[in-house]
This record gives sequence, structure tokens and C-alpha cells, in this order.
Amino acid sequence: MKTIITFLILFISSFGISQTKISGKVVDEKNNPIAGANIYIDGTYDGATSNEIGEFTFSTSEKGNKILVISFLTYETLKTTIEIETYQNKTFKLKESINTLDEVVINAGTFEAGDKAKNTVLKPLDIVTTAGSNGDIVSALQTLPGTQTVGESGRLFVRGGEADETQTYVDGIRVAQPFGSTTQNLPTRGRFSPFLFSGISFSTGGYSAEYGEALSSVLLLNTTDMATENKTDISFMTVGLGVANTQKWKKSSLTFNTAYIDLAPYQVAIPQNVDWNKAFQSLSGEIVYRYELERGLFKLYTAFDASRFDLNQESINSVVKTRVDLKNNNLYVNASYKGNFGSNWQLTTGLSYGLGNNKIGLDNQRIENTEHASHLKLKIKKPISDRIKLSFGADYFITKFDEKYSFITNQTGYNSNILAGYTEADIFFSKKLAMKVGVRAVNNDLLNETSISPRTSLAYKVSKSSQFSVAYGEFEQAPRQDYLKFTSDFKNERASHYILNYQFSKDKRTFRSEIYFKDYNDLVKYDTQIAQYNSNFNNNGFGFAKGLDIFWRDNKSIKNLEYWVSYSYIDTKRDYRNYEAEVTPSFVAKNNFSIVTKYWINDWKSSVGLSYSFNSGRPYDNPNEMSFMNGKTKSYNNVSMSWAYLLSQQKILFISISNVLGTQNVFGYDYANSPDSNGVFQRNEIIPTADRFFFVGFFWTISDNKKDNQLDNL
Amino acid sequence: MTKVITTLVVFLTTVLTVNAQQYEQGMGKAFATWKTGNATEASALFERIASVEKTNWLPNYYVALVNTTEAFNPANAKNATALINKAQTALDAAELISPNNAEILIMQAMINTALIVQDPMTNGMKLSAPTIELYERALKLAPENPRAVFGKADFEIGGAQYWGTDTKPMCEQVAKSIELFAKFKPETEFHPTWGLDRAQETLKNCGK
Repeated sequence: MKTIITFLILFISSFGISQTKISGKVVDEKNNPIAGANIYIDGTYDGATSNEIGEFTFSTSEKGNKILVISFLTYETLKTTIEIETYQNKTFKLKESINTLDEVVINAGTFEAGDKAKNTVLKPLDIVTTAGSNGDIVSALQTLPGTQTVGESGRLFVRGGEADETQTYVDGIRVAQPFGSTTQNLPTRGRFSPFLFSGISFSTGGYSAEYGEALSSVLLLNTTDMATENKTDISFMTVGLGVANTQKWKKSSLTFNTAYIDLAPYQVAIPQNVDWNKAFQSLSGEIVYRYELERGLFKLYTAFDASRFDLNQESINSVVKTRVDLKNNNLYVNASYKGNFGSNWQLTTGLSYGLGNNKIGLDNQRIENTEHASHLKLKIKKPISDRIKLSFGADYFITKFDEKYSFITNQTGYNSNILAGYTEADIFFSKKLAMKVGVRAVNNDLLNETSISPRTSLAYKVSKSSQFSVAYGEFEQAPRQDYLKFTSDFKNERASHYILNYQFSKDKRTFRSEIYFKDYNDLVKYDTQIAQYNSNFNNNGFGFAKGLDIFWRDNKSIKNLEYWVSYSYIDTKRDYRNYEAEVTPSFVAKNNFSIVTKYWINDWKSSVGLSYSFNSGRPYDNPNEMSFMNGKTKSYNNVSMSWAYLLSQQKILFISISNVLGTQNVFGYDYANSPDSNGVFQRNEIIPTADRFFFVGFFWTISDNKKDNQLDNL
Repeated sequence: MTKVITTLVVFLTTVLTVNAQQYEQGMGKAFATWKTGNATEASALFERIASVEKTNWLPNYYVALVNTTEAFNPANAKNATALINKAQTALDAAELISPNNAEILIMQAMINTALIVQDPMTNGMKLSAPTIELYERALKLAPENPRAVFGKADFEIGGAQYWGTDTKPMCEQVAKSIELFAKFKPETEFHPTWGLDRAQETLKNCGK
């Protein structure tokens, strides 16, 4: 008997008992059958693949409640509990996976340059291989629509906004002093070496509630997450020397990068429009340390920069030149942590400290100013589902600014604390329709003001390769340092953005067009020649900007040629500062056009770049005329060339010439404060520091992997 | 008592053998399906085996291999990204089961190569160095693994041809890998053995 039982048990266990048939159908959201879906009972071999009409059938010996898994490549995996005994033929609907490339992207106002970004229009490489940009991130961004080329400044002017309406963030944390210090009409450049950043996102409006204290634009730079190998980069340039080294360990890596720039030898060789006593000299460097933790990544970014120059600046108001000498020391430290906790919560937090110190001499007078600026940030993100992502966070900005003069006893300055909180939701209604809604609340204790700024954007995909987006937002920013140091009796300046964007992107070709309207309110006005201690300030200024931005990029039509074309039309007027009326400010050209090309010549192992930019004339105020801001400069033209020659895999020779044709560009005019004996106000042209700029560099990479070079740094 | 114990032992071994049999049958069927060219079905079969064999890295490894191989096929250009993603997810699962596994590192290098082929301008710059490093790590763990030797040499040949530098050292490595293929003994019949035909193909064109 026992043997029989044993036998039976063995028999049953080996061959199973009763088999249940499981069958059904798999369809997509439009009820079209899905062929090739994988259907199985989790933890068993029992399953099948759906046929041409989406149907499947298989047998199982399982009993009770089991999990049925249905997966297919581009769809969300469906897991559903079934009771085997009572299971009846069913139809299963799979949702298209949102995590695929062709989903809609909310991109009104934003240009992405990064390898992870889905709506990338530029690659990190492009930022730096653009002819004429000389490795300056900002000057490469000036080839994008929505920006103004303001040659005498070197900063970012976006859609009728002033340079200080753009805020820069590194790894989500503010950089208070993103540009080198300079004097009037002498262009500056960004402090950041493009080589440390893997992602750049440049928004010309309508950006997320995460970012504040910016009326026009935000520039988001993300440092590289992890170094890939140990290497050393050495650069010899006509303007200086540079060394960079990366060390990589199991969980951490360290990159340092330092450059010494001295323009003296260069300025001896090439005639200058500026009378230098001591050419621009700087020692700068950056250090990035990254440490991988169990569930996150810690990054420490430090940048220092010490620079000086000394020159005699011509002034229309005096026969003798004014001697200007400037010493600037800058330190920036940024520590951030990004990681996960709990179930899918994402935490980004960090703090930054920036110290900027300027010692300026104007003939015998001395001015010294110091700014301490900190930002504490906390951001939490939680995907509620694949379709809804919630984020919220807080910012705390602390700024302390002091300025001392040798010729006045009292000093000026201010302490400001800004506390801000925001919340935002990303909602994907489908693969075609997505929305972002957010709100930011800000309290500025110096201005004693609390304000609320709602922001929202919506994107709709009309076909596989094209989509529309709209964005609306309210933006606020405390008045600039130049005013706050005299009084804090201000309100925030404000702007509203309305943006409509259309993008078509297919097969390495991208077309993008955007129309926008911007409404400015509460801009600062004053009643003196320049803002000073006895000016009467108020917040009664206002203005608007509207325009069209067009961008076309094509990497496909011609083999080995990549190019992009930008065109911006802008109509803007504002009544602010000491303006007599609402007029177009002097930094705005109505028409901006640029084309950037890069051609790879295989036989020469060379990449040749050519770029051209054109601006129509910019307004200037001629006091000899009755009406205000009525003059217009001639148009601006600049053709630049660059040539990168790969001597070997790890040695590159790079040559670039800006303004090859030597066009005599005029940015504007400085008029005398008072008329001469004939009753005429005399003027000086504001022109570039040199007509052409030549750059020759030799870059050498030493690494284990012989394939590496610095091409992406140029 | 003895009988009960015997019965239990027999029972348990039977269950285990049945499971092992199922595994062998399942893997056998999946390989046979793949051979007939039905990659979707083969991938589905490996996926189902993976759902049972939670401590075995091989089924997930093959999900990755099947989908990566498919991604290289120009006919699948439209779905390449989805295929690569699927391969990556499966390989991540395999690596959790078996960390520091040379075969998995080699597979990761293959996925990287597929990404480079997809978008050479963006991914070439970014992934070249990490890919070489993956092969080097694999070689450290298994110096005699023919796929690691061949994979690295094959990856380097592309660059060398472009620069006009000598491909001879790489070709020697390819030849060496062919010898290693002959000597290579997989742990079980289902452990990876692929690559010999590709190595022979590469050697045929080597130095030309």
C-alpha cells in the first residue's frame, strides 16, 4: 500500500495534477493587437507569446492566486493577480511606456546641451568647438536665438533683458559671481571651464519654479558625474598655460584644472585698441571631487580666480585718460548631494559660498568691494506614478555686500536674506500630452516683501517628430547690487513670460521656432546721470519685449558638415533707469542672425569651423538731438574661423581667428556730459578691444586609454 | 521510519530533478528558438526562466545578449533604443545576482558598443574609455576568456584603422582569442560560448 502511495506522490509531483488553460488577448490603448508580447505566470515556466492578432494561450498546473506578467518592449509591463481556477478569457490593455525616447518633452523656452537630455539641440562638444567662442560657454550660447551679442560686455542678454537678469546655477546651486570682473566697455568671460560640465541647459524664459531671482533667463550647468579614467591634459596657448589632471578611485574621483593666462606677450604682437599699462593676467582653477555613496552621489566643486589688469581708459569728458586698475579675487565652493531614500524619493541638497573681492583704482581714488553670497538648497522629488512626478523644495539666499571709497568716508552695502519655497508637478496625461504646474513663494527680508509666482507649461505632440509647447510664468528678482547698496527702499522687479514653441526634429535635423511676449513691471528708476548715493530711486519703471526666435540645425544633409542657423527678431521697449521715455535700450538689436558650421575633413584629420554673426544696428542716445535714444549704430558683422588638427590621437593643434575680415564694428557711443564751445556734444566710439583675436594652442592628453584627447575641450 | 525518510528524500530529489529538468528543457528550447531566428520568442522564454531562476544569472544574461544582438541588426533600427534598454535592465538584474562576473562585464561592453553604433558623435566620445575599461576589468578577472580578449581587440581595431596606426598587435590578440576559444570550457552547457565565428571573420579581414 505504502509503495503505491509513494508512487502516487512521486507521480503527482512529477507530472502535475490538473492543467488549467489560460488564454486571452493583448492590445494597446487603441485596441490594436500587440504581437510578440510575453505573457507568463511569475515564478513559473508557464507562459506564451502573443500571436499576430494578439492572442495567447497556455496551460498551467498552478493553483490559487498568482501574478500574471505581461511585458512587451515599448510598453509598460503589466502585472495583475489572477485566480487560476476561476480565470476566464480576458483582454489586457498595455500602456505605452513613457520612458521611451519619442515621448513629448516640455521644452518651451529651453535649450538643452547634454547627452542625457531628450530635446538636445547642442552637444557639449558644440559649446566649445564653435569658431569665435574661444572656449567661453557664454560666447557659444550667444549663437543661439533669443540672445543679443553685446560685444562690449561679454555677458548674456536674453530677450530684451539686462545681463543681470540671467542667473547661473551649478548642480542646481546659484553662482553669485559667474563672470570675471571688468571695467566699462571691456568684455568679460564666464568663469567656467566648459570641460568640467557634462550638461548645459539654457532657458530663455518660462523656466521651472525651482529657479528664482532671475527675470529673463537661467543657465544651468551640471558637473560631470563620474570621471572615466586617470589622465593629464596639458595645454600650451598663445595666451597662457593650462594643466588638468584626473584621478579615479573605486568610489570617488578628483579633477583639478588650472590655467595661467597672461595677455602681455600677445598684446605686444597684436595691436590693441586699448592703452594697457599691464595686460590682463589671471590664475584660475577648478577642483571637482565626487564620491559615490550607497544611494547617492556627493560632489564638491571649487573654483578660484585671481585676476588683474591696469589700463588707461579714454574718456570723452577729459583730455587726460583715466587710469583704471583692477584686482579681483574670487572663490566659489559648492557642495551638493543627490540621492534616493525610502521608496523612490529623490533628494537634492547642497550649499554654496561665493566670495568676490574687487580692488579698483580710478586714478588716485580707490574703491574696494566685497560680496559674500551663499545659497542653501533642498529639493525633494517623488514619482507618484510613471505619469505624475511631484517635487518641492526650498532655497535660502544670503548676500552681504560692502563697498568702501577712499574719497568718501561712509561706506555702502547691504545684507539680504531671501527665503523661497516651491512646489511643482509634472503630469504626463499620455505619451503626447504633458504638463508642468508649479508655484514659487519668496520672502525677501531686506525689501520686506513676500511674493508668489505661478508657473506652468504644457506640451502637445502633434506627430512623431513635431510638437507644440506653451509656457506662462511670473518671475521676480531683487534689484541689482548697484542700487541696493544705496538704499533698500525697493520692491522686487517683475516680469511675466508668455511663450509659444513649435519644434520639429527628425533624423539629425531640428527646427525650432518660438514666439514670446514679456511684460516688465516695477523696474528701478532713478533721476541722476548714474545711480549714486543721492539719487531718488523708485520702482515705477516698466517695459515689454516680444519677438520671434528661429533655430535650425542640420547634421545630415551634407556629409561631415554640421551647422546651425539662428535668427531672432525682437521688439522691446522699456522705461527704466534714468530714461526719459519708453524706448528700445541700447543693448538691443532688432535683428540677430548667426550661422555656425563645422566641417570634418577626414583626410586631414581636421575639424574646420566657420561662424558668422550679424546684428542690425543698436540704438544710442545722441544728446545733440531732441528725441531720446534716437541714434542707431551701423550693423555688426563678424566672421570667425577655427581649425582643429589632430596630430595624433592625443595631440591637437588648434587655431582660431575672430573677426577674420577685420570689420570695424561699433557697439555704441559715449557722449560728453556737456557740450563744447560750439554747443555740440562730442562723442567717442565704443569699439572692440582689438579688431581681431588670434589664438593658437597645443593640447596634449596623457592617459591609459590612447583614444582620448582634448577635442571636446576646444 | 526509514521508509518515510527514503520517501521524503526521493520526493525532494524528484522535485529538484524536475526543476532542473524544467530549467534544462527551458534553456534548450530557448536556444533552439533563437537558432530559428525568432529572437522575440527566445527573449520571452529566457525572461520566463529568469522569473523562476532567481539566483541564476544566465537567463537574464541571455535576455541581454538576445536583445543587444537584435539592436545591432539594421532592420531593427527603429526599436534599437528599446532593445538596448531591455538588454540593460536584464543585465543589471544579472549583475545583482553575480557581481564581478567577466561575462557580464563583456556583455556591458557590448551594450556600450551598441550605443556607440547608434549615435557615434555623442556616445563615441563618452563611452569609448569606459568600454575599454570594462574589457580590462574582465581580463583581470578572467585572463583566458576568449570573448574578453577578442572583444577588446575588436573594439580597438576600429580606432586604429582610422588613425592609420598598426593593427598588428590587435590582430595578434584576435588570433590568440581563437586559440583560447578552442581551449575554453564553459562551466555548464548553458554558459556563454559564443564569439568564435566573429573572431574568425575579423581575423580574415585583419591587416587588410
